[in-house]
Formats: sequence, C-alpha cells, structure tokens
Amino acid sequence: MSTATDDIIQILNPSDCFTLAMDEEIRQENMPGSQCGFALELASAPDSTAIEQRIHEFSQRFPLVFASLQQRGKRFFWCQREHKHPLFHQHKTTDSSNEAEFHHQTVQQLLNHLQARETIPALEFHLIQSANKNTFLMRWIHPFCDAKGADLILRYLCTDDAEQRKQFDFPKLEPLVNQQLAKYRWWQKVLMFIKAKRYISQLDTLQSIIHADTSKAPKQLNFKTFTLSIGQTQAINKLNRQHVGLTGGSLYYIGCFMRALNKMNPDQAGEAYCTPYAFNLRRNKALSPLLSNHVAPLFAQAPKSLLPDRAALFQHLKQQNTNTIREKLDYAFLPIMWAASWLSLAQHGEKLRNSMRTGTDRSSFWFSDIGNVNLSNASFFNSDITKIYHLCQISSPPAIAFLSCQFNQQLTLSYNFIEPLFTEEQIEALHKNVLEELLTE
Amino acid sequence: MKQQLREFIFNELIFVAEPDKFSDDDDLLEAGLDSMGIMRLIMHIEEQFNITLPDSEIDPDNVNSFNALEQWILQHKT
Repeated sequence: MSTATDDIIQILNPSDCFTLAMDEEIRQENMPGSQCGFALELASAPDSTAIEQRIHEFSQRFPLVFASLQQRGKRFFWCQREHKHPLFHQHKTTDSSNEAEFHHQTVQQLLNHLQARETIPALEFHLIQSANKNTFLMRWIHPFCDAKGADLILRYLCTDDAEQRKQFDFPKLEPLVNQQLAKYRWWQKVLMFIKAKRYISQLDTLQSIIHADTSKAPKQLNFKTFTLSIGQTQAINKLNRQHVGLTGGSLYYIGCFMRALNKMNPDQAGEAYCTPYAFNLRRNKALSPLLSNHVAPLFAQAPKSLLPDRAALFQHLKQQNTNTIREKLDYAFLPIMWAASWLSLAQHGEKLRNSMRTGTDRSSFWFSDIGNVNLSNASFFNSDITKIYHLCQISSPPAIAFLSCQFNQQLTLSYNFIEPLFTEEQIEALHKNVLEELLTE
Repeated sequence: MKQQLREFIFNELIFVAEPDKFSDDDDLLEAGLDSMGIMRLIMHIEEQFNITLPDSEIDPDNVNSFNALEQWILQHKT
C-alpha cells in the first residue's frame, strides 16, 4: 500500500465505497469482483471506426476512465496510471457453426475476467462479431459508476449530435450523496443513522431464505436472458399496474420472483425472502452525473407465510415501500453509508451483507429493474439495436441476480447466477415459474 | 400551490432543461415522473398541505400534470 498522494485524482464517495465493499466480498470468494455489463445485440455490423472515434472522444472528455483504484492509508482513491490502456476491443470469429455460443462465451469470459483491483480497467467496450450476429458490450467495475451512469454513458455514445453530447455531465456536480448529506446538521444525521439501524435490525429478525447450494464453492458467473414478445410485455405491464398500482413498479417483479423461487423448493430453510434494491439520487432524465455511484440501498422483504397469497404479498410489498418513503428511510441510509466508508473493506462488507442476528446473508437474491431504456437512437452506429440486457457479478450466497429492462416495448429478463451454486437447468425451471407468475391474472 | 409543486418536482424528481417552458398541462409522466417519484411527491404533498391522499386515487389522471395535481389536492383540502 503506497502513501503517495501526488497521483490522486479523486476520493471515492460513500456510495462508491458501498459498492467497493461488495467488490471485496466477491473477490474474497476468488471471483473477479463487482464487474457489470450492459450488452446491446445489433441487427448488423456497426461502423467500428466510428465507435472507436466516439469512445476516444468520450475518454478525452472523461479521463477518469483511465484511472486506477488505489488504497492510500485507510481510504480508496482514483489515481493516475502511468500508461493509458486501450478502451475498445474487438472479438471476431469466422466459424458460423455456433455463433450464439461464441457470443455467450465471449461475454461470459469478459465478465469472469480475474484481474487485480489496482490494474483492471474501470470501463471497457467490446465489439463481438460473427457472420450473422453482433454484440456490443460495455463492461465496468461498480465503484466506477452505477447502472444509471452506465445507461448515460451508453446514451452518450449513441448520441450523434456533437452539441447534444456536450450536455452530458454538465454542469459538473459534487457526488449527490455528499450534496444530500450536506443538507443535514450533525444531530439530524445521528437521528437518521439510528433510524436506519433500527430498520435493518427489524429486517434481521427474520432469517433470509437462500436457494443457492452453499456446500459448493463459486466457480464462475453464468447468465441467461429471455426477451418477451410485445404482447407478453403489454400484458405484464397491465398486470403490474393492476397488482401494485402506479407507485409500485418494480415491486411486481420482486413479488413474482419471490414466488417463483419459492416454487422451486417451498421447504427451503429460512423465514423470509429479502432483496436489496437501489434508490437513485439523480433526478429522472438528468444527464449528470455520469460517473461514480449515486445510490443508496433499500430492502424488500416478505415473510414466507405471505408467499402463497399473491394479493397479500403485493399489498405487503407496497405497504413496506410506502412506509419506507413516508419515514424517509431512503435518505436515512446515507449517514450509514458515510459512517461505513471509514471502516475496513472487510468490516464494511460484513455489515452490508450479513444479518446482525444470525450472521448469515441478508439477501435472498439481488435485483435491479432498469425500467425503460431510452436511448437517443434506436440504432447504434448504423445498426438497429434488437435487444438490450444487463449483467452483474454477485456474492455467493445469494449467487443469483434478477435484472429486468424494457426496450422497444419488449421486456428482457436477465438471470445472472454463480455456478455451481445454481445450474442452468435450475435457471430454466425458475424462468418458467417467473413467466407464469408475471402473466397470472 | 403550483409554484411549490414545480419547485419540488424540478429540483428533486425530474430534470427538465427549460422548466419555464414546461406548461401546467404538459405530461409529467412523459417527462420522467416514475413510481418512486410519485411516491415521494405524494408524501411531499401530504406533508406540505396537511392532507391525506387515498391510495385508491393514485391514478395517472391525478398526477400527469400540474393542473391535475392541483385539482386533486383541492378536492382533499377542506
């Protein structure tokens, strides 16, 4: 660990530290840390020269992309590297016998790439090409940006008009977590801290149900994605509105996923399903900030006894969400994140991950609903985008993440799982259950 | 009332490049007001105007513009 400070560009904010603690937890399992992906499937070969130029322009505008994550004393910082690394990589095959497999394997290898935290590029772009299939993958490490920031980076790349691109990340903003924290006096922060701790203690009275086979050691991340038809997506959107209303959105997916997991093994040990989800501090449709993390965690938890009754489950999740906002628990987590950023990564990870009562994992699964992906273009460097999906590494347990997004009026469900704690066969069975749940009247 | 709603929505919930050009009839849902934003907006209204907005009335017709929001609030103000 160096003590030099000359090369420091910026310190990680409390929300970055929160994702860094998860990175450490995943690395402790001999896995690659909290790597994430955003993939576009394209109808034809895009203009790779233009992509490279746009990425170059992006790196000129956001040179932090070349920074290295370094520990200085107790804290972590983005620091200058001696040499810039390439940001854009191309992967091609002429073998047309199994193109889908080539694309899947390449994406999987990139997300499973093991590299030291200090040397791994914070962000990379990959174009994967075969005779009839093209995939553009953006891979980033979570302390560098959150999913919304990744969405903005992609929008930046997709924006053809140079003047419009200048509007991204303008004006330069302080990390939103710090801005929000600055609004409170010290005693208000203490009260919020206590409130958030009580909320977590309350969650921890129930032991979370974990479906992963924890007798096995994690080996690799695998993923399966399913894009539903426009008709299915419309039906799900209608049922979503019907069951959880205008203010529930993502809770419909969470409830359906809980029930689908429960169907796999209703006798699985534990008392409740619990999942963290992100509360984003950015205003919707804002084009800044792009980089760093600007989120706080919230939890959805449902006792096992509620699972058989769909209506009661959705009502419970909705009420829980209402109480969370009413009691301002979303903001109450900010002082907790700030305080935790002073802990060692190991201590931070333990507090973040484990139940205070049982010491076992609090999360039954990870969840993220990106919602509608609104790019400024339905095409990407002269090629139509046919599908978008997200990927993320996960700690084991829970060893499973359920990510959803909608693009071109179609819902894509991305199941990310750690093998062999989950198998492909289990995920296929799980998806059947999820689909059935999502489409149930 | 609408000015207060404007300040809260544009400062806290959605980004609009030119708020002055956003009319009281323009669609807030189109502009980016999502489920989490609606929740926060309702909590803000309940606190500021000391009223309770029933869950059964949380409907696009009541939240999709400043004019609709004002009408909804007025119905519950004594």
